[in-house]
Amino acid sequence: MTALFSTTRAWLAATFIVVAFGLTSCATTSTDSRERPPCCREIKSSAPIPDQSLYQLDSQWTSDQGRVIRLGNLQGQPQVIAMIFTSCEFACPIIVNDMKRISDALSPEVQRKVNFTLISFDHERDTPERLLAFRKRMGLPMAGWTLLRGEEDDVRELAALLGVNYRKDARGQYAHSNLITVLNAQGEIVAQESGLNIRTEGIAEKITAAAK
Amino acid sequence: MKLRVCILMLVVVTGWIVSGAEAITTSEAPAGMVAVPAGEHRPLFALPNEPKTLPVARFGLDKLPVTNGDFLDFVRANPRWRRSTVKRLFADANYLKHWAGDLELGESARTNQPVVWVSWFAAKAFAQWKGKRLPTVAEWEYAAAASPRRPDGENDVEFQRALRHWYSTPAPAELPRVGAGLPNCLGLFDLHGLVWEWTTDFNSAIVTGDARGDTGLDRQLFCGAGSAGAKDTGNFPAFMRYGFRSSLKAPYTVHNLGFRCAKDL
Repeated sequence: MTALFSTTRAWLAATFIVVAFGLTSCATTSTDSRERPPCCREIKSSAPIPDQSLYQLDSQWTSDQGRVIRLGNLQGQPQVIAMIFTSCEFACPIIVNDMKRISDALSPEVQRKVNFTLISFDHERDTPERLLAFRKRMGLPMAGWTLLRGEEDDVRELAALLGVNYRKDARGQYAHSNLITVLNAQGEIVAQESGLNIRTEGIAEKITAAAK
Repeated sequence: MKLRVCILMLVVVTGWIVSGAEAITTSEAPAGMVAVPAGEHRPLFALPNEPKTLPVARFGLDKLPVTNGDFLDFVRANPRWRRSTVKRLFADANYLKHWAGDLELGESARTNQPVVWVSWFAAKAFAQWKGKRLPTVAEWEYAAAASPRRPDGENDVEFQRALRHWYSTPAPAELPRVGAGLPNCLGLFDLHGLVWEWTTDFNSAIVTGDARGDTGLDRQLFCGAGSAGAKDTGNFPAFMRYGFRSSLKAPYTVHNLGFRCAKDL
């Protein structure tokens, strides 16, 4: 590659190095925070949320039960998360099956403490009803499995945070990364496994550690 | 008589509606933006069964990249996006590292230089604050295909030579000011030759790696990417942008990566 590109790559690599900054938190309150778009509202921090937690996101999601939640509502137990869409013909059923296999690899005690969450790319077609039909088709129990849909921008943002790349093709199908992510109880990413028909031992160990 | 009046009224009202509709479709771009006419974008990688070109609707695009000065206004108004307060989830530790302080540009960041060291989240929040959004990859690439002389810059030999030169030269230690070069024929400055720019769907690349020979995609990692192939293996700058975008993650900040805003018109 050319000079510019290698320089850029070097800088990118440098960004991986976590520089310990002495951060002083400026607690600023703003009176007009309700009028601002979600990007610019001050984050309400009743319970301290870690800097790297996905639970800082303001976006709203609707479950297959029609319940409207923020990701912060998932706080308190480890989450195993994957992004899918219900009319997916190839990879998504395998991803869901991988998640079931992960669940089976956990001890009953850990299994009770963990939640599995599927989030749809398909903001147009995946209504709560279609998510519910998918739950039935895939044989996912009510307890311990959450299915969510969101608006286009919020899906793009969550995917960016999880490191999931995707794109809609001309037929309305989605090409996407096959990626399973584990969040700890505070919403920080503690493990990721990419691919299909994955080995479950490693990720099950990390979930067990996160559930302690 | 009554009927005539009715018809007359109908004609008048229809006239209003029609002229109203015209006013909407020919609405001018806001100040500082260019109305990019509708057209077609040829993506670098086409998915199976995908048409070779994608339609791009008419949209507004900032004439210039966002500057340090613009971004200073933004962080003044939005304390959450200041260097010392921003959450690591949304921007890495190098965020705005070239500024002298939270609200101070200093020697290495001039008001009229493009802002760099900003994450995708910060760029997106800036755009939202302005009532705008980031352009899509298709919109950006479509607008950036125009040369100073013609909309189909791919057929402009001189332009292609200049592009290859910029894309193979390291970024200068001190960035030039925005708007110093020639605008393209749409009136847009600095799409090439100054800094790289964030796009809203930068994470839509479904190819592993960044080499142009890399079309043997891993079906294990990407669903649906089975036989995507590059349409134009000679367009080296486009491959570089594609590779650069696929190497990014949303909280990353880079010394020569900035952005500009777009808007539906």
